[in-house]
Amino acid sequence: MTAPMTTPTAAAAPPARPGLAPRLSALTRIVELGPGRLDNKLLTEAGTLLQRAGDRLKLSSEHTVVALAGGTGSGKSSLFNAVSGLELSPTGVRRPTTGRTHACVWGLDGAAPLLDWLKVEGRHRFSRASALDKGDGQLHGLILLDLPDHDSIRALTDTEADRLIGQADLVVWVLDPQKYADASTHRRYVTELAGHEAVTVFALNQADRLTAEELAELVIDLNDLLRREGVEHPTVVPTSAITGRGIESLKSVIAGAVSRRRAAIQKLDADLHRLEQRVAKAMPVGDALNAPSTVDEARRMGLTDALCDAVGVPAVGEAMENVYAERSNQWVGWPYPRWIAKLRPDPLKTLRLDDVGDEIRGISTTTVSAQSAEVANAVQSLADGLSTGMHPVWRTAVHQAARSRMSQLPKALTDELSDLAPRLDHVPGWWRLLKIWQYVLVAAFVAGLAWLAVGVFMPGQVPDALRVLGDTAALPWVGLMLVAVLGLGALSGIASRNFVELGASKERERLEREMRRRVASVAGTMVVEPVERELARHHGFYTALRDLSP
Amino acid sequence: MNTAMDDGRHESLGEQTLSIPRLTDETLAAPHPPSPTHPDKPHAETADAEATPTEAADNADDTDDADDTETSAQAARDRGTSSEPSAAVRAEASGELSGAAPAEAAEEASADPDDEPQEEPSAKTDAPGEPDEAELPPSDKAEERSSDKAEERSSGKAEAAGRPSTGEAKGASAGEAEEELPAEAAEELMAALGALRESVADVRFGLDLPGAEEARQTRTELLAQLEDYVLPRVRTRAAPALIVVAGSTGAGKSTLVNSLAEKNISRTGVRRPTTGTPVLACHPGDRAWFVEGDLLRGLRRLDRPSPDAGMSSLVVVTTEKLPQGVALLDTPDIDSVVEEHHEVAHRMLDAADLWIFVTTAARYADAPAWNLLRLAKERGARLAIVLSRVQPRSREVVLKHFVRMLTEYGLGEIDRFVINESKVVDGRLPDSEVTDLRMWLAELSVDEARRAQAVKETLTGVLNSFRTRVPALAKHLETQVAFRSELRADVETAYRGALADVDRAFRSGSLLHGEVLARWQDFTGSGELMRSFQLRRRGKAARQAPERLGSFRTALRSGVESVIVAAATRAAEEVVGRWRRRAELGATLAEGLDRPSDDFLRQAGRAIAAWQDHVGELVSTEGVAKRSVSKLVSFDPESLSLIFMVAMFSGGHAEGVPHRLVNALLGAESLRGIGAKALSDLRARIGMLFDEESMRYVKALDSAGVPDESIATRLYQATYNLEVVR
Repeated sequence: MTAPMTTPTAAAAPPARPGLAPRLSALTRIVELGPGRLDNKLLTEAGTLLQRAGDRLKLSSEHTVVALAGGTGSGKSSLFNAVSGLELSPTGVRRPTTGRTHACVWGLDGAAPLLDWLKVEGRHRFSRASALDKGDGQLHGLILLDLPDHDSIRALTDTEADRLIGQADLVVWVLDPQKYADASTHRRYVTELAGHEAVTVFALNQADRLTAEELAELVIDLNDLLRREGVEHPTVVPTSAITGRGIESLKSVIAGAVSRRRAAIQKLDADLHRLEQRVAKAMPVGDALNAPSTVDEARRMGLTDALCDAVGVPAVGEAMENVYAERSNQWVGWPYPRWIAKLRPDPLKTLRLDDVGDEIRGISTTTVSAQSAEVANAVQSLADGLSTGMHPVWRTAVHQAARSRMSQLPKALTDELSDLAPRLDHVPGWWRLLKIWQYVLVAAFVAGLAWLAVGVFMPGQVPDALRVLGDTAALPWVGLMLVAVLGLGALSGIASRNFVELGASKERERLEREMRRRVASVAGTMVVEPVERELARHHGFYTALRDLSP
Repeated sequence: MNTAMDDGRHESLGEQTLSIPRLTDETLAAPHPPSPTHPDKPHAETADAEATPTEAADNADDTDDADDTETSAQAARDRGTSSEPSAAVRAEASGELSGAAPAEAAEEASADPDDEPQEEPSAKTDAPGEPDEAELPPSDKAEERSSDKAEERSSGKAEAAGRPSTGEAKGASAGEAEEELPAEAAEELMAALGALRESVADVRFGLDLPGAEEARQTRTELLAQLEDYVLPRVRTRAAPALIVVAGSTGAGKSTLVNSLAEKNISRTGVRRPTTGTPVLACHPGDRAWFVEGDLLRGLRRLDRPSPDAGMSSLVVVTTEKLPQGVALLDTPDIDSVVEEHHEVAHRMLDAADLWIFVTTAARYADAPAWNLLRLAKERGARLAIVLSRVQPRSREVVLKHFVRMLTEYGLGEIDRFVINESKVVDGRLPDSEVTDLRMWLAELSVDEARRAQAVKETLTGVLNSFRTRVPALAKHLETQVAFRSELRADVETAYRGALADVDRAFRSGSLLHGEVLARWQDFTGSGELMRSFQLRRRGKAARQAPERLGSFRTALRSGVESVIVAAATRAAEEVVGRWRRRAELGATLAEGLDRPSDDFLRQAGRAIAAWQDHVGELVSTEGVAKRSVSKLVSFDPESLSLIFMVAMFSGGHAEGVPHRLVNALLGAESLRGIGAKALSDLRARIGMLFDEESMRYVKALDSAGVPDESIATRLYQATYNLEVVR
């Protein structure tokens, strides 16, 4: 009837498992996106659970792994033997008795890979040819494990029980009247069981040691205790391996789980739920999903504005405008005031700083460069704005992403804009024409003055050919003309200066537009892109976390 | 001390030596030299007494032998330094010697033919470095014991023989040694303990570092133990012995106490955990001591258990069935889900003179049980083990296994009692099951010396444990102090770095980029700069209001501002990052501090504006020095101060236009003077801003609790003083 199993058979193809798949893929995403953001311990657990779920789902779905767990001396092995009806696992009075896990399989096909996965040694595997046992047909597909204890001094160095409690589909906690309230069971395992009601059974063993009243009292007490610890609807079955009491009820509870073939999924479901709770506790979803997942237009504009300020775009434009206006005066301005000003002594010359004056006047180009501190602040305020309300870890991550290329950013901006820097020594052709025009006017004025002088001082001495010059009647007209020439010069000076200013302000607008465009594109590649990657990660993480919850 | 007392002691000494050789015979409690790690313990007598193998029957001989031993040991070394006539004190004096000496002396001294000389060398070589374990059961009535018990002991004997034994090292009279301390010595001990208590009470662990919880618990335990047990015990040594019954839930502690007291004093039941309030059972004669005494003073005394008694009470019940001089204390469990029970149980154990550890056949391999045994071993507490609920048919197997485990653990020689699983009637075991224990108690009650010795031994163990426990406390305190100063150093480093960053920005000319540069170009290129200078003889009338000066000034201010803000932001992030990396606590403390404070920008702006005004003043008051210039040229002081700032910030470009300008206007010397003043003023202002910023972190640290360094030193000092006094 019992035989060590030798023939491993191929695992049956897993049927469709609705509900679990999307949650597992959400967990996969969390594991992918989590490193550096989620607590390492939690991340490792998530990875382990993912691995376990993948493994378990690949293996036989026809089998249900039921583990008998409990403290030393609670009677796991006796119960194991009682359920299997055979003396498979050694029982004894020495503590701890069972050192290695024993397994008994009802229905062998496809169980071997599962047992390999559970790491149950070959010599501790047994099988029941279920067809032969009457009444056990309902247990077909059961793999019953007898675990070592978890609370003896031996268990301090052996995590086998711990591992199998995690791997089993259904755990039967074997408690006894002496130890049912032990901290080692409750604090380590039972408090973690919230949500696992469907895949947890409590067997109150050694019921034969108590009187009926005592047993009733104890069952009530145990139920209360379990409820206080979050197990809302505990299944408590009083059993006695000695008298056989309750064994059938336990069997039928197990048989129910086995025949439904859902324990594995329910267990994973409950595990996922617990993990989700813990992740959500470490990183509350809150309104994290409302956080921006991209950098919107307003924020981009804000960043560009701030970076433009850091480069000094408006100031550069203004400077260009002002310098043009000043310089153009040399060309298109009315020459007389200029000449008068030149007569004035130069203070710099007095201070023997002629070269400084020359240098100032000789500035030929403006320099456009970014001030790194202001660039840093611009980037910082973008990150601040985006990460408001985020979990500190993510906030730091967004900041880091924003700053990821901070060391190159000021230089990149400077390089990108330097060829746009307006040349200040540029002289348009019409300036030259106007200068000629002004000089022509000056010449006309001088000529007029000469005429006037001739007409006034030597009217008689004018050669005949130039008789008209001596014509005194023409003199008032000449005077009028002189005034007109001066006025024309002044007016055209003012007019052309206005033209210069108009042109400069147009040029400035063009320049500023172009600079903004380039600043925006640099900011886009060097700041916005990495930030958006991080934001997408943030969004993806929390979406996955939301998808993880059922 | 009067002679009458001395006489009494000699008598009791005799009785005691009577029982010890029997022990040696029957249970192979190998005599030991004093453990080398505790050279100050009065062991000499112990070794002497035990090494004197006498036949149990001959009471008088024993007494003589013991006295002989002492006298000859004394004579041999001629170390009669003590003014006390008591043998015990002399023994203590000789115990100050090395560990080997007393054993040697014993060899010399023991002329008894029944000596077992081979045990002496083995005892010497064993020299276990741990506190001595309990003494084995008194055996006057050993013959009456059940055959099971005898078997058990003989198996223990066989195993013990096979390995170096950790046996009894102390004679009973060692316990008396300190009782006969001169009054001032006792006073000193009390004072040292009082000082220790005060320094322990002063310890605060504000920072939730890993280990802080344990340290807090250790502190509470130490404090409780000092107040509950050590101080009262040192004050009154002759008090009844408190025997604490501890063990796992469901092991039957209450049942055992009830059975021994023959009275239902502690509730028993199937519910786990059963006992929540400790229950003390004692002889009516001892009641006053337990109700009015200082022992466990912090607990409220109750006459009968009540459901709402809570855990800080102690039920005191009297019963004639318990012998006088010993009291039993039923404690809550050490391993149930109700964790407060563990604390109460440990507190009771800390106040115990003897421990009775109860475990069961189902539980004897449980980890919590062994943790408790380890604790007992560490504390050097006198211990007896009760293995209850043993099925008669599995008794031998279980017992053998358990004894082997104990032996492997170095506890093979402890008093053991086995109680069979039997029908509990009315919360009590059948009387036959507890006979052994009852006799053990009776012996303790009758034999004052033995009791005193047990009391003394546990007390010594506790005092010994202070040697490691108090420094551990101090060590954690130092960790906290170190952690705190590390965090402070982090803040300091970050802000010092920020200040250096700002400095570098000022010196390297990186400030003169972006808007500041553009404004400067605007200012110069548009001729405004030139216009700000006027030749003196043209008068001041022609001066126009500088148009672009305002925006230039603003640009410069916001440039400096952004340098400061960027540095402060970086510093804030650095501090938080460093704190996070250090410990989880760092992350908690740094909550909300990862950026500069909200009004930092405003404050920085204000500070820089003030600095600009200050520079303007400097330039206009101190910068007029160059008379040759001021005679010729008048200049707008505001423009000049701006040019000066630009020159200052342009760093190494001494050849630049602004530099040469101000140099020519102000003169090199005065420029240097103003430059240094302006820069140091700016630095001071920024330093102040940063100081205010870093204060936020210091405040956060302080709010978490400030550990006081000096307390660690006081703890060490108090421990040292205690050792000196002992």
